[in-house]
Amino acid sequence: MIDPEVIVIGGGPAGIAAAIEVAGCGYAVEVVEQRDSLGGAIHRQPIKGVAPISQASGPKARWRALSDDFASARIPVRYRSIFLGVDADGLVLFENRLACSVERLQAKAVIVATGAVEKVLPRPGWHMAKVSTAGGLQVMMKETGRAPKGRVLLAGNGPLLIAVTAQMARLGNPPVAIVEAGDPLGRTGAGFSMLGHMSLVREAFGYLRTIYLRGIPWMRASQLTAIERDDTSLIAVVRRANGREQRIPVDRIGLHDGIRPNDFALPNEKATSVAGPVILRAGDCRESLGAFAAEADGRRAGRAVAEILSGGHERADLGCVKIERARRAQEVLSTLFAPVGGACPISSLPADTILCRCEGKTVGDLRSLCERADRLTGREIKHNGRFAMGLCQGRFCAANTAALMAEIWPQAPAPVAEDLTGRRWPIRPVSIAALTGARATSTEHE
Amino acid sequence: MTSRAFGWMGQCIPFRDGETVASALETAGVYTLGADALGQETRYFCGIGACQCCLVRIDGVVREACITPARSEMTVETMEVRRD
Amino acid sequence: MMREDVNVGRQFNNARREAMQFHPPFSAIVIGAGIVGASTAYFLAKRGVAVQLIDASAPASEATGAADGAVSVASKRPGPMMAAALSGVRLYATLAKEGVFAGAFKHRSTFIVAASDEECAVLEAHSAALATVGVRVDTLSAANLHQRFPVLSLKARLGVEVHDDGHAIGYQIVHRLLTAAQITVDRNTKVDGLAIAKGGRSVTGVSTRRGTIEADAVVIAAGTGSAEFLNAAGVLTPRKGQLLVTERAPRLNAAMPGAIMSGRYLLSKGTQKMANSTPARGLGLVIDPLVTGQFLIGGTREEFGDRQSNDIDAVSRILAEAVALVPGLASLRLLRSFSGLRTAVVDGLPLVGRMPGFDNAYIATGFEGDGICLGPVTGKSIVQLICGEAPEVDLTPFDPSRFERSGEKL
Ligand SMILES: Cc1cc2nc3c(=O)[nH]c(=O)nc-3n(C[C@H](O)[C@H](O)[C@H](O)COP(=O)(O)OP(=O)(O)OC[C@H]3O[C@@H](n4cnc5c(N)ncnc54)[C@H](O)[C@@H]3O)c2cc1C
Ligand code: FES
Repeated sequence: MIDPEVIVIGGGPAGIAAAIEVAGCGYAVEVVEQRDSLGGAIHRQPIKGVAPISQASGPKARWRALSDDFASARIPVRYRSIFLGVDADGLVLFENRLACSVERLQAKAVIVATGAVEKVLPRPGWHMAKVSTAGGLQVMMKETGRAPKGRVLLAGNGPLLIAVTAQMARLGNPPVAIVEAGDPLGRTGAGFSMLGHMSLVREAFGYLRTIYLRGIPWMRASQLTAIERDDTSLIAVVRRANGREQRIPVDRIGLHDGIRPNDFALPNEKATSVAGPVILRAGDCRESLGAFAAEADGRRAGRAVAEILSGGHERADLGCVKIERARRAQEVLSTLFAPVGGACPISSLPADTILCRCEGKTVGDLRSLCERADRLTGREIKHNGRFAMGLCQGRFCAANTAALMAEIWPQAPAPVAEDLTGRRWPIRPVSIAALTGARATSTEHE
Repeated sequence: MTSRAFGWMGQCIPFRDGETVASALETAGVYTLGADALGQETRYFCGIGACQCCLVRIDGVVREACITPARSEMTVETMEVRRD
Repeated sequence: MMREDVNVGRQFNNARREAMQFHPPFSAIVIGAGIVGASTAYFLAKRGVAVQLIDASAPASEATGAADGAVSVASKRPGPMMAAALSGVRLYATLAKEGVFAGAFKHRSTFIVAASDEECAVLEAHSAALATVGVRVDTLSAANLHQRFPVLSLKARLGVEVHDDGHAIGYQIVHRLLTAAQITVDRNTKVDGLAIAKGGRSVTGVSTRRGTIEADAVVIAAGTGSAEFLNAAGVLTPRKGQLLVTERAPRLNAAMPGAIMSGRYLLSKGTQKMANSTPARGLGLVIDPLVTGQFLIGGTREEFGDRQSNDIDAVSRILAEAVALVPGLASLRLLRSFSGLRTAVVDGLPLVGRMPGFDNAYIATGFEGDGICLGPVTGKSIVQLICGEAPEVDLTPFDPSRFERSGEKL
């Protein structure tokens, strides 16, 4: 097989749109996607025989148009292939889960469109079984057409919680409650600015209508302060707006405190094909602004790559002006949903609250590591406290660890997640058998 | 709808065509996927292959249950299972 | 300059040194917070010297943070490096007992295994050489080897167990030393040069972009960055290494009674000298079971300099060799790859001692692939030298003045 000239990582709106643009400019392009189907987080395809979860008509039509264009462009997709990074020699690496091999491609350009990950703030008990991210519950719903079973509580911050609520309701099992740190109904100023973004308003109104009609408690200005467990249930400990504590027995909890780019350990952008491929990012992994902006940004990146490859470097759009509106909408949303009373400081959590789940490291572990006159860097915290050292490579703890460091050392320049994560491949753990062509013998069993 | 199944710790887990291992296990009421190498409970969390909390051994190979499609010939086990 | 002149010069220096009143300086600057600098700072602080540890970036940010961590004599040949390594391992054990390194130094054997005739021959000779300097070694036939080390591939035909070796993670050791001595590191501060006193025989401190920092003594422990302080180009050369870390596998890990070193390592590492004839990229396989249950697998030796990156070619070759020796590794996943630069000296021996021409400036660098093993004992020795005591390790073979040319300071 001839190596494609351009490789697009991720089959969501950004990746698909980018691939279509690149192909339209006459370059050979392929898409690499870890799942079995395209769509990404937002347009996750249902399994065979299951009706797609209902979606607002606008986005639905956009996705249909996009996937039709994609189909007619006849762009090959490598499914079940996990992007590992770009190596020192400029080879694009991914793990082919079907063939159990690691493949290396010599491309002229790579567009990385790996989407977003959810932010999840630490709370006592967040690491227990039956606690997922709200997005995780949504992914399963979209695939299976079934709502999570039993009494489900959604908690955290942001509009995704009400979207998931509405979808669960339509599938017949609405959550018992939504615990929301913000109070969007109380922020009239921001509410008015929303009117500038009518499609968002329509979408939100649709969700709120479902919530209202079903009588689902939307506990605003409230915090899920802890998750406990007894013989049969999880207990959600909720602090309500009036300061009162409420203990709600549930079967399942979905957490969500916003989204952020899934840019962990990605190779840096590089606008030249000298010494390795051009590397550009597109969509949520560059800036998490939602599906509409992701598609626009994907097109932008696709065109930019084509410009660079055809020697028109100065014409390449490395910014993306189109998404300005989406950025403003996102800003309005975050003002609207701003946690009442500010974000709860991580340093106020009990010492045994898990901060880094993969390595089992706690808030107390970080505090005691920081009890010294010498101010450690993110990398030192990682090395000596093992924060962000584990299998998720910091995706769910690096930002929280950096935030707690900033609380402990307020005078210092605030550390960021990138201080704790690396820039080395593999960006995801990869099978040694696949890397070496050996068979996994599973001696771990013997 | 085809009714197929894979093996999980001596149990038969039915799944629907195209379904992931994680969602088939969840449908069957399996929420704890065993313990990881530190002895911590593993479970479905992010659903996108990022958190590495849903690791299982599929035919001896470590995989994320949430992004691995179920197949009827496969054997799925907890990470710490031993056959000795 | 003729050989005799050098000797005359040395004798003169020695005489002058003896004439001086030795006492610990009141203050000292250590340039570089890698394992050598951190150890030096630790031993200075223990003597009550006011130490300033200065780093262009942060502790363990270069080679120390990217090292393999063998605290080992297994690959050494008898000679000054062997002597130093034996002291190095002993000091680790002592500091572990005292508590500073408790839990950070893993006491374990190194198993050197040979799979080919050539490797078997080299290994047998090597084992005999180790025994002559009192290293406890056991030669294991294939059958014994597989009994002692059941997860090893049947391809291994001969093994030598080198007892009393160990393993430590460079950045953890630095952290322990700095924590124990309560040292506050001057991060993100690059030292631009030494501040030289009138007359040129001594230094008053160092110059940085924040101005001159003064001290009674200065120790250069800046790894590859030390080259800037030397007056001789080409004495130090960087040698890249790539290393890998797997996910945890407690059972496989527990089934390994020590580290495995491929017999080919001896061929790759040689005497630390990489003559021009050796290939640009050597591969010496070592598999270390870590206390976390993970495996550290290394590594390459690459002559081409500064690419702080990993390539699939090296990574898959390292892993293929590792799987050939321990097939169970194939069922694990690779978690991380990283690389770093070892600082090598052209003649294969480190530079440790007084900076030629100065009374109160010292240098300690050039440990190539042995700095984790030798760092603490070097720190201790150089502090002894500064204080006019006999160093724990005989530093004469490492004396920087061996590169001194006529009329030039190194
Ligand atoms: C849980 C969740 C829920 C959301 N809900 C909404 C909503 O209701 N409304 C809304 O407007 N926006 C929502 N968003 C945002 C919206 O999904 C995104 O803005 C949009 O889908 C981004 O498109 P993208 O192409 O950049 O990324 P994605 O759509 O996420 O696509 C990225 C693709 O890359 C693949 N991938 C990731 N890593 C690798 C790898 N290493 N190798 C190979 N493939 C990989 C993924 O499987 C995925 O298919 C949500 C986001 C999340 C995370
Ligand atoms: S649930 Fe997060 S990786 Fe599978």
